[in-house]
Amino acid sequence: MNVSIFYSAIFCYLLSTLSYLAYLVSGKKTVERTGHYALVAAFFIHLVSVVFRYLQAGHTPITNMFEALSFFALCIAGFFLYLKATYRINSLGCIVLPFISILLIWALAYPADIKPLAPVLRSYWLPVHTIFSFLGNAIFFVSFLVSVLYIIAEREIKRKKTFLFSARFPSLETLDSINYRCMSYGFPFLTVGIITGSIWAGFAWGSYWSWDPKETWSLITWIVYAILIHNRLAIGWRGRKTAYLMIAGFISILFTFVGVNLLIGGLHSYM
Amino acid sequence: MQIVVFGLNHNTAPVEIREKLFLTESQVPQFFNALRDRDIEESAVLSTCNRTEIYLCTNDADESLAVIKEILENSFNIDRRILEEYTYTLKDESSYRHLFLVASGLDSMVVGEAQILGQVKDAYRTATHNNATGYLLNKLFHKTFNVAKRVRSETRIGYNPVSISSMAVELSKRIFGELHQRKVLVIGAGEMSETALRYLKKEGLHEIFIINRTFGNAKKLAEDIAGIPYPFESMSDLLMQVDMVLTSTGSEKPLIDTGLIVQVMKKRKNRPLFLVDIAVPRDVDPTVNKIENVYLYDIDDLKDLSQKHLSDRLKESEKALEIIDSEVKKFSSWLRQSEKNPLITFVIDKAEAIRTKEFKKTAQKLKNADEETLRSIDMLTRAIVKKLIHPHVALIKEDSDRETSEIIKRLFTLEEEDEKDLDNRDEGQ
Repeated sequence: MNVSIFYSAIFCYLLSTLSYLAYLVSGKKTVERTGHYALVAAFFIHLVSVVFRYLQAGHTPITNMFEALSFFALCIAGFFLYLKATYRINSLGCIVLPFISILLIWALAYPADIKPLAPVLRSYWLPVHTIFSFLGNAIFFVSFLVSVLYIIAEREIKRKKTFLFSARFPSLETLDSINYRCMSYGFPFLTVGIITGSIWAGFAWGSYWSWDPKETWSLITWIVYAILIHNRLAIGWRGRKTAYLMIAGFISILFTFVGVNLLIGGLHSYM
Repeated sequence: MQIVVFGLNHNTAPVEIREKLFLTESQVPQFFNALRDRDIEESAVLSTCNRTEIYLCTNDADESLAVIKEILENSFNIDRRILEEYTYTLKDESSYRHLFLVASGLDSMVVGEAQILGQVKDAYRTATHNNATGYLLNKLFHKTFNVAKRVRSETRIGYNPVSISSMAVELSKRIFGELHQRKVLVIGAGEMSETALRYLKKEGLHEIFIINRTFGNAKKLAEDIAGIPYPFESMSDLLMQVDMVLTSTGSEKPLIDTGLIVQVMKKRKNRPLFLVDIAVPRDVDPTVNKIENVYLYDIDDLKDLSQKHLSDRLKESEKALEIIDSEVKKFSSWLRQSEKNPLITFVIDKAEAIRTKEFKKTAQKLKNADEETLRSIDMLTRAIVKKLIHPHVALIKEDSDRETSEIIKRLFTLEEEDEKDLDNRDEGQ
């Protein structure tokens, strides 16, 4: 049951992805609408599958690699839908949707069966810590994509030679303003994620901060984004420079999430 | 019946000749009347600054052309020499192929420009208002609008702008997005500024400021076209407020240098600034482009872009030609069909004649009706007629033996006689 719901969500995401890619080529409004409604459907089906899994497992389903990737994709889809309702950024769908699809297909590579929860994870802090961290990371992922796009488009306009990206994607000001919004939403989520994690660690492991690789990297991430906020608000950085810092911040998130889980190991390596 | 086009355009005639064979709005109805007096039933006139073309539907092309030339020479005082030396005549397939090309912007001086489609639509509207067109030309023009629409949506022929002002606006949209909240500063009050101002006004920018060394000229330009004039000294203040700057002064030395813009950007808190310098020699020091969040385009940059966009359009025009070729084929086969089966045309014509007559009667009675109501009635009657005659047309196509033909013919003639009869009775009462 649960698996078939999840597969239908993936199907809708793929349909949306293909529509957006077709929209990039053809520019037809009806194709974009198809992509949009497929995305809305995919998001809600996906949400239902996560809720089902929660009911089946009896705990927040963010405890292994499959669940983590799936939930991360869900957060990205949700945040992108929110941005779509705020800005006219239809063309961004062909950048964001392929990544959502890749994340979900990647998730399928991991075992999806529900296992009993490790004793150390049995806590009310599990949903709070993971949901806030994942939301923050998803928002910063979107801002990472937007920043890469900004840098390419800005370079095109400065160099005056080709206009492949700047002609098709939202204006520089729109991209910059999305970046600003991502910063002002992502940072509080990240901060709450880190603080709740630390409190939980205090209960579970007896120490609020033990400098394991994941903790260290999330602190580095937090510092990068703190610098970004400072430079943006106090010094008046805009555009290209903030986009570069956004990219640096997300590389740091990648280390926290993928690098630590897959390569280094440590206290956090449940997934 | 043959479709024919006769006329001249920017390729065959220089501007001073084109000016002479330009039919003004008031001359066109006069021209239609003259044609009708000489038994040319279907015609339309497209007259713009780049072309004057007369579209005809006639049984005898050579005779009709002679008549047209005669009318133009005698009633419109156009030199015979112009009519012979600078014009072209296209018949049948090449005539409607030509109209498709014209409406799609492929025959324009600037390939892919969109204005021409509106002009073709206007020309057709004028012709229908004067009852100059008939069944075939109506069909042809409606087809033409479809073709032009297909070309626009399926190729990128009009995608990138080519004029200086439109490119400047397009670039600023890539930086700022929507422009209606944005402010622009125009420096200089020359001819270039004037052209640009007209364009900017159309784009609906939030505010337009104009400065010039001689304040009076800025003021005059603002009054004539659009904008708010400011004294030249307020330039650096205005630079802080605006999003886009357009300069075209005759200054020998740059007016805006890196130092000034660095200062301005600090006060703007790095809000992006887009400078378009169309002056020669340049008004803005080229190194300004190196400053963060500042984008400077000078006349050469824009000319390069324009060249590139034009060559893109030429590439796209090959795709457009394919579309047009396939549509020409479709239209040709439709024409052949209607010729092979003249009865179909006969039925449709009859029905259309009745419809037009009745519609006009109603339109005359409805003195207070506005354009929209009349158009709705027009559409309604068209729809009814179409639905009513559809089974007849289908029957003819299906089964074209003599008996059916006779029945159909009788049906439609009888109806007309009936109508006369009824009309007489109405008047009698």
